[in-house]
Amino acid sequence: MPQVLSPILLYIGCAVGAIGVILSLPRARFSLFPIGSLIAAAGVGVVWIGLGATYPDKIPNYHYYIFSAIALGASLRVITHPRPVYAALYFILTILASAGLYLILSAEFMSFALIIVYAGAILITYIFVIMLATESPSEEQPDVLNEYDRVSREPVMATLAGFILLAALSSMLASGSAGLRFDPAKASGDRGLEVMTKKVERILRDAGQLGNKETILVENGKLAMDVKARTIKIVQPSGEVRTLTSGEWPEALRLSNTEGVAHALIVEHPGSIEIAGVILLLAMLGAVVLARKKVDMDEQAKAQAAAREKSSEAGDELGIEGRYSPPGVGEGGSPS
Amino acid sequence: MTALFTATLAQGELPNVMSGVTLYHFLFTSAAMFVIGLIGFLTRRNLIIMFLCTELMFQAAGIALIAFSRFWMNHTGETFVIFVLTVAAAEAAMALALVVLLFRRKETLDSSAWREMKG
Repeated sequence: MPQVLSPILLYIGCAVGAIGVILSLPRARFSLFPIGSLIAAAGVGVVWIGLGATYPDKIPNYHYYIFSAIALGASLRVITHPRPVYAALYFILTILASAGLYLILSAEFMSFALIIVYAGAILITYIFVIMLATESPSEEQPDVLNEYDRVSREPVMATLAGFILLAALSSMLASGSAGLRFDPAKASGDRGLEVMTKKVERILRDAGQLGNKETILVENGKLAMDVKARTIKIVQPSGEVRTLTSGEWPEALRLSNTEGVAHALIVEHPGSIEIAGVILLLAMLGAVVLARKKVDMDEQAKAQAAAREKSSEAGDELGIEGRYSPPGVGEGGSPS
Repeated sequence: MTALFTATLAQGELPNVMSGVTLYHFLFTSAAMFVIGLIGFLTRRNLIIMFLCTELMFQAAGIALIAFSRFWMNHTGETFVIFVLTVAAAEAAMALALVVLLFRRKETLDSSAWREMKG
């Protein structure tokens, strides 16, 4: 079986990419992100040039390269940006670029669902939690980053492990998926149309292919139509059956993406919606139970909080506003 | 312009713009994004960013599923992506509730503050 991509090129790309990611991960004293990201981009570029050389006679799909570059670049920034809020915003950019990739693959419904559910709901929850669970900056250095955000843990070993996985995975895919071009002959087609009597009748009547007193033949509870051969059997008023040939098949008679997903979800996999509902219900219960639990701060953290409280009171004397405490509760409130 | 849009968003036939791109292109993007998420999960020490990296891995799985769905020209892969979205939403709710709980206990998001759990 011919390979999509020569393994040597793939391994070179992975090695270059690994060096770039190691350099761009956050480190203690100075940031090498600009250099690291350029090297990582070069690694991806090597792989893409190799892929483009496989089918030189075809026009490359520039949409794929643009969206893919944005998605990979933004996801690299998610794991390298020292500030969590910016990481979350870059993740939204990744989501938008992935939605573009979904559009290229003509999955319009999932593309918009992705933007609404992921970028609109899940990521906003993340940003809320980032703002809830962030230590208040101390007065001396209001803009300092936390040590655990600035320094990454074991960058070299983790990156090597990750990229060895990538090299193994994608070299196997490259040899295995050589013949995997998009092939319309393999399509299962618009089989969902067979159960959508009203839609098929309306479109046929609009196209003038179905007379007023004619109906479509029904076999085994489904319409007698062959979606692949594009033929439909129609019962005439006299009782005779005529066949609509593929030449007369109206262009509008096809399943839209949303209808296709709905058909696949409800007719072919009805259990999955139920399971998804149960998962969401249990997650909600779990979140409520976790959120109601009263937690005591442990000793070490208490000491640190007390130290911060002290320093913010010192700030009050200098006329800087300190840590907020509700009136009449804390003894450390600001005596304005 | 309209020709471009109808070609890119065509449902039934293969759009022309598709011609130079194989299934492998999308699988490579998916694998690379998954590995970036994995590296982020291993190297970052902020609990929230670690969970963000798991979302990145979910996203990579979604791209692979949609690409296969397109390749076989059916919608099964897309129903699986709906499932991935569900799991991601459930994970976000649970994990973030947990993160807030841990933060209240230790006043820090550092994952190595919970080192004693190693046993």
